[in-house]
Amino acid sequence: MSKKTTGNIAKGLATATCTLLGTAAAAPVSAEEQPEWEFDTALLFYGEDAGRVQDLSLNIFARRLFADERILSVGLAVDSLTGATPSGAVPQNEVQTFTRPSGESVYSVGSGELPLDDTFLDTRYALTAGWQQPLGRDYKASAGVSFSTEYDYTHIGTNFGLSRDFNKRNTTVSLGLALARDELDPVGGAPVPLSAMADVGMISGRDSSTSKDVADLLLGVTQVINERLLVQFNYSLSTASGYLNDPYKILSIVDPISGEAVGRTPAPGLEGPLHEYRFESRPDKRTKHSLFGQGKYWLGGKVLDLSYRFMTDDWGIDSHTLDTKLNLPMGETSYLEPHVRLYTQSEADFYRVSLLDGEAMPLFASADYRLGSFNAVTAGLKYGWQTGSGHDVAVRLEYYRQDGDIPSDQLTGNQDSASLYPGLNAVIFNISYGFGK
Amino acid sequence: MGSPCLVLSKAGRASAQKQLEVAAAEAWRIEAKYSRYLAGNIVHRINSADGAVVETDEETANLIDFSAALYRMSDRRFDITSGVLREVWRFDGSDRVPQEEEVRRVLQRVGWQKAVWKRPMLTLQRGMEVDFGGIGKEYAVDRAAALVAAECEAPCLLNFGGDIVAAGCATKDTAWRVGIESPGATSAVPCKRIELKRGGLATSGDSRRFLLKNGIRYSHLLNPLTGWPVLDAPRSVTVAADTCTQAGMLSTLAMLMGEDAENFLQQQSLRFWCIRQ
Repeated sequence: MSKKTTGNIAKGLATATCTLLGTAAAAPVSAEEQPEWEFDTALLFYGEDAGRVQDLSLNIFARRLFADERILSVGLAVDSLTGATPSGAVPQNEVQTFTRPSGESVYSVGSGELPLDDTFLDTRYALTAGWQQPLGRDYKASAGVSFSTEYDYTHIGTNFGLSRDFNKRNTTVSLGLALARDELDPVGGAPVPLSAMADVGMISGRDSSTSKDVADLLLGVTQVINERLLVQFNYSLSTASGYLNDPYKILSIVDPISGEAVGRTPAPGLEGPLHEYRFESRPDKRTKHSLFGQGKYWLGGKVLDLSYRFMTDDWGIDSHTLDTKLNLPMGETSYLEPHVRLYTQSEADFYRVSLLDGEAMPLFASADYRLGSFNAVTAGLKYGWQTGSGHDVAVRLEYYRQDGDIPSDQLTGNQDSASLYPGLNAVIFNISYGFGK
Repeated sequence: MGSPCLVLSKAGRASAQKQLEVAAAEAWRIEAKYSRYLAGNIVHRINSADGAVVETDEETANLIDFSAALYRMSDRRFDITSGVLREVWRFDGSDRVPQEEEVRRVLQRVGWQKAVWKRPMLTLQRGMEVDFGGIGKEYAVDRAAALVAAECEAPCLLNFGGDIVAAGCATKDTAWRVGIESPGATSAVPCKRIELKRGGLATSGDSRRFLLKNGIRYSHLLNPLTGWPVLDAPRSVTVAADTCTQAGMLSTLAMLMGEDAENFLQQQSLRFWCIRQ
């Protein structure tokens, strides 16, 4: 058989085709393969008011598509954190002095000011990699790893997923498992829970390294209800065990009558705190359950995305999150998307705004504002468009406000709720750019 | 056409509606005229002539001329009389591979050189049949695209069961994104993505139609010279060309080349995407 003799037939075929279709030579084809890598990049600025946390974050996420629906994804994130967070100590009508976590010097906070600590802030690098592929006709499997590092913290994690389509692909059931181990090397070591903040040079007996293990399990169902509505329900279980304290968070010890911080005198010749503070103490286990429901509804071009999450944990925190987005197309290649998110949570059982002088020390106590009772609102607007070359660009500006209150039975003497909970305002600005898609 | 047909248009609602109607009418017209499953059409008349001469109309004569030219250009691999091989080859995923004797017997009724074609008169030997299934969809989508473009200049994409044409006035910003499915795909994630501004795109593949016996996979692509499946064909070949008819013929021929598919395609100096895994 003369396999090689066929040669170039493109020209003869073009002539025959012109005759067949009764046309002059067709205009030349224009077909380009799109790159196999697609990229999503984003620059995010998050800034809290009053000298608190500022985060500038660069994220790059790349996906490579292979034959047979196999997908490799790789992500890189760099965060630069500056500013400070509330240490947990309550403001006083006099200057407060604290020993730095390093134990090598002190810093002071003015009268009436909220005590802030800047120890945890640094540059953080995070890497993720994942692989997804079909298993047989109906299943899809994925596996991934994650790694992040900053000067006092290292995270290493792995995740697995399996999903199956039913019902002509109108129903997808998915199962996910994630396991992580986080190593924490706090500046100055991990303080003994509920131990007193000591004078400069007097910290000893601390663990230099601690760790925690986190396991997350997720069960999800996605269902196409009709051509306009898609719903999703998830249940997730998360357990953490190990060192769950924030090593830089403290509680003030206050007078049970006046509510004012109890004073102390540093040892002769040493610098140190002028009031009594204790390091926080959290349980070494935490189990969270969360239920999540989401609906995406198509309203003749507009898309409404509404979701609700309920979370409850064995630390006594219950939270509710309501999130809504409305995608409004503006012409063919751009859209506007308002976003509102409402969040509320109850405080942890061991949340204490301060400890009372003379009381028996509780087993667990934390004044971390993130474990307190608070409400938060996020409101923002996103504008996205497609460039002439088909790249996706979006800018998003959001405002975040968090307001909390202290349970009234915890208020002592002159303490008042409004000034004790360190509420915050923040702005979020995000620019994203996607190409290769 | 035996598969979904789709028209995407950037025209306004009224023009798009008109474009859709024109495309659908042309698809149905060609389906009715050239489907081998419909009694009374020209294909049926030719195939039931029982050795008698059949006079063909202008359009059918053009299709036959085209098929004859392709038969020559492809060294007899592209043959509109090869359809009768389906009598012994049923690609249903089973292991029912026909006996050599059965194949030999039916092969006697295959071969364009045995037909007498004196435009517009066609005479087939008794028992022979023609089948335009290898050209039909590509021809239909090119014809429909020309009619749609005459209707309205707005960019428009026609997809007749994977045979695709980008028609209308293409501008810098109006590339259509066409995904090529993985062979045997289970979902809509494409393994290649092509930006098509103008021209035709066609994919040939052996998808899920095959026989499996003693570990040998018999693809549904039959070599009309031997009556047996082509060995070592790619799992899928996509070709971009000025028209979908050209793209479709080249992707089909490449598949028929078996292990030489890539060599053959390289000689044509066209964009192509071959998937072998």
